[in-house]
Amino acid sequence: MERAFLFNGIGSKPEKLLVKLPPELMDKYEVYLDQTFTRLGLNKDIEKNKAYDGRVAEWVISLICDRVVYEYYIEKGIIPDIGAGYSSGIVSISGCFGAVSHDFAHDIIMMNRSTMRCLEEHDVKLDMGVVIGFSYDDASKVLEGHFSPDELIIGCGNSKFHVTLSGYADAVEKALELCQEEGAIKVFSLGIGVAYHHPIMKNYSQEYVDLCGQDVYSDPLYPILSIFDYRIMTTGADIMKENQLNVYSPIRWDIALTKMEELGCREFFDVSANGAVSKFSRLKRKCKIYTLEDIYS
Amino acid sequence: MREITPEIREEIKDMIFDYYAEECEVDKDEITMETNPQNDLGSDSLMFVELIEMTADKYDMDIKLQAIGKYMLKSPMDTMKDVVDMFCKIYQYGNDIVDQ
Repeated sequence: MERAFLFNGIGSKPEKLLVKLPPELMDKYEVYLDQTFTRLGLNKDIEKNKAYDGRVAEWVISLICDRVVYEYYIEKGIIPDIGAGYSSGIVSISGCFGAVSHDFAHDIIMMNRSTMRCLEEHDVKLDMGVVIGFSYDDASKVLEGHFSPDELIIGCGNSKFHVTLSGYADAVEKALELCQEEGAIKVFSLGIGVAYHHPIMKNYSQEYVDLCGQDVYSDPLYPILSIFDYRIMTTGADIMKENQLNVYSPIRWDIALTKMEELGCREFFDVSANGAVSKFSRLKRKCKIYTLEDIYS
Repeated sequence: MREITPEIREEIKDMIFDYYAEECEVDKDEITMETNPQNDLGSDSLMFVELIEMTADKYDMDIKLQAIGKYMLKSPMDTMKDVVDMFCKIYQYGNDIVDQ
């Protein structure tokens, strides 16, 4: 296995994604956007969507951009030997690698509305925060003894210099302050009201998990590395489980990338419009991560 | 502590300007010592971390990011001059920069 595709999923604002799409890919994007937003009943003018619709609309746009970039790579003859999805990148890779339809992948993203409504109904204040400058181990040492795992965990170990915290909003805020005092280069909260990759999310995401568990999965076109147990997944059942785990299980993206290197991967392709994956994955990696910009130019 | 000569300082400045010019896709001539790396060039903290790593490799240093982070708490990086000054201090003092 030499070539790996990396999927980012959600997280980037649409304007930052779209500005990176070349005109010929924008045409395709517009077609997919029309089809998808019409089916989902979303307004293309994001601000006109009500309540949580606006947020999930942005996330669906991320998936559409991923699809456009993915199809461009394939058209250019760049074929993956394996892939992995970071957080909601699991949903994106499930669609692009053919384990589910793109429509179903979008339905999964839309189901985040149910999770956010459930959190609001229970008046639970959750959040996530980014720490730049700390590895997973660095952050673990700094946070040790200050928070119980019920309050706060490291939701994503991204690279040697990048972790994401998940938990109760007040705990995230305190943890970020602590990390800043202890020498983080930069900290910031995401302010999204959810704590993806924290086990507490299981209590509020039953509808999401149930939807992910539907009998609609096919075997993926290419193997996918699990970011939870680092197995090579080749069946629809594997991908279903990965999507279910995603919302409430911590991620070690750094370990997943190392595992892919051990498997022989030497070329990584960032399947996002703006190279988002490469930004938090590339440091200290001996292998090249190609972005759309590299391939298009 | 390592001595920093005018030549080394110029070399560090060139390295930093080259790096930001490439990463931020701007002409190197447009960057001055008064340029704000975040606001004027659109740089981010991950770029900054990569620059630290690059510097560590170039000068064969073992730099702890936490030491840099603590230094930055008292000395924010608002201009390219601040960045160049800080990297010169990293070259001179290594992880003891936090005490400077």
